[in-house]
Amino acid sequence: MKLQKGVMDWLDSRLGVREIMHANMGGYLLPRNINIWYTLGAVLLAMFGLQFLTGILLLIFYVPDTEKAFTSVTAIMNSIPYGWLIRYLHVVGSNLIIVLLLLHMLSVLFMGSYKRPRELTWLSGFIIFNLGLAFCLTGYLLPWSQLSFWATTVATDAAGAVPVVGDFLVEFLRGGPSVGAPTLGRFFALHVMGLPMLFLGLVGFHLFCVRRIGISSPPFGDGYRPLEPARSFHHDEHPGGVPFHPNYTIKDLSMVFFVLAALVAITFYAPWLFIPPDALEPADPFTTPAHIKPEWYFLWAYQTLKIFPSKLLGLASQGAAMGFLAVLPFLDRSPERRPAKRPVFVTLYLLGILLFVGLSIWGHYS
Amino acid sequence: MKQSFLGISIMLLGLFVCFSSGAAFAAEDTVCIQCHSGQEGRLAEPVELWRTSIHAANGISCNDCHGGDPTDFAMAMSPERGFIGAPSYTEVPDFCGRCHVGVKEDYLASAHGKALDAGGAQCVICHGNHAVKAASIDLINKESCSRCHDYERAARVKEEISSTETTLTKLEQAVASLHRLGIDTKRLEDSLFASRNSFRRIFHTVNMDKIKAQKAEVADKLQGTKAAIADYESILGKRKLAGGVVVLLLLLGGAIALLIRRSYHDEE
Repeated sequence: MKLQKGVMDWLDSRLGVREIMHANMGGYLLPRNINIWYTLGAVLLAMFGLQFLTGILLLIFYVPDTEKAFTSVTAIMNSIPYGWLIRYLHVVGSNLIIVLLLLHMLSVLFMGSYKRPRELTWLSGFIIFNLGLAFCLTGYLLPWSQLSFWATTVATDAAGAVPVVGDFLVEFLRGGPSVGAPTLGRFFALHVMGLPMLFLGLVGFHLFCVRRIGISSPPFGDGYRPLEPARSFHHDEHPGGVPFHPNYTIKDLSMVFFVLAALVAITFYAPWLFIPPDALEPADPFTTPAHIKPEWYFLWAYQTLKIFPSKLLGLASQGAAMGFLAVLPFLDRSPERRPAKRPVFVTLYLLGILLFVGLSIWGHYS
Repeated sequence: MKQSFLGISIMLLGLFVCFSSGAAFAAEDTVCIQCHSGQEGRLAEPVELWRTSIHAANGISCNDCHGGDPTDFAMAMSPERGFIGAPSYTEVPDFCGRCHVGVKEDYLASAHGKALDAGGAQCVICHGNHAVKAASIDLINKESCSRCHDYERAARVKEEISSTETTLTKLEQAVASLHRLGIDTKRLEDSLFASRNSFRRIFHTVNMDKIKAQKAEVADKLQGTKAAIADYESILGKRKLAGGVVVLLLLLGGAIALLIRRSYHDEE
């Protein structure tokens, strides 16, 4: 205790850490009616941390070589002490992160928290979501299983539908005419170095935006009134609000515990939920497995492409949908955030969710 | 720019199934399949039958049995390229025995094999020709056996080997379940495969003493596999127990944190 105080005094006299901590913890006030959806950011940070930790542990034993990758993953699962636990936590965690990212984005959309002045917060969050999917896509290839090989073969092949530069894109993504050692090399580099660096930068920027602009008030209750956004920079203060620490961090912590409980439950009792049988066989370029489906979060895209008569049209429609979501704060400029006062948006919101779920189920059973 | 690139990347993965359905086993790509599929009647029939067979499921194509060149339309059925066409009735055991060497040996030593020249049943009588059925105890049944002789003795043979068949099937399912959980089951699969092959050799004999001796031998081999599976299942059980404890602790931690939060809420 004495040592801790000594260290704090030492740091405080040089960096003024107590002032920083007070400003960002006990003195940082949140809206009194802040709800449970606001904990998703902290939960996601905890999950990202776990992914980095398990990823680093996997890196110790994984060999990014087409001849050795599958064997090394098999060894991790069977020979390395607790290797199975580390890998399953990594695999199940990646899927849970996508679920949590979707919930985080849906809650932000529902409460209109993406609106001015939080356009950059939304945009950086949206890119983080896409990076999350890119992590999954690149991580999929690394075990060099049948699923890895064929999913990547067809996924990269689809880039050929892009006019003019399609063929170049396919070769660029694969590092050659077909999926092979160069593809594994570049996906591995992206997964363990390129994407994490970009990801950390974006998460930092996202958190900076959240803190700099201030937490948005939930648009519920009698006291809430939409405010005309200020023309110059304005930090959203919440006088008389709830201290971030310990009052809200303890709520964050409880949600982290519950999500970790779900993660551990799936890891120990149903890890196969996120590992199709073809992921358990080594890659064989001469045998195409039947009935392969993409992972659940790509099923909507898979089914959309089946609906459209041409690959290009399918890709364009998905690009348009994703592009629309990215620039939504720049299109939806009304200051109104209360769902009850935004019937058109809420209707489209619900239809969008139904479309996503419907296409995914359709894709799964088609 | 980054956004659109990632967007495209996401969508790309969805495409793979569209095309995977178009891709097929190499066995489907032969000129034999291409030509016979386009014909009618008895010339097209083998292709459809073959597609339902254990051979098709394992990538064994026309040329693997009938020879010839599966890549050249003009020379596909040329004897110069090894085409041997369809065997006569008595040639069938030799025809199939080129691959199924041990089975052929057992068959020829059996009552069926000894009666071959007198019209005794050969391979395709029980297993079918193009729609080749996997070797299974189900092939011994009243409907099939009664086509040629009384079913009584066949029924006794079937009864004698049924328990081993059931054990083998259960062990195979247990190994498949372990494999599904990411456990390296290659050693167990190889061991079961060898036991299954030894066991199948019993199917072609009707000598009850020989059947009993071979059955005991197979049962002995299966003991080791059973023990290994039990070890894995015990480890998995312990893992689940540990996982359950961790889940409970995490839920407890979450509940305590919520209670603490409530105490702050009262102060607020």
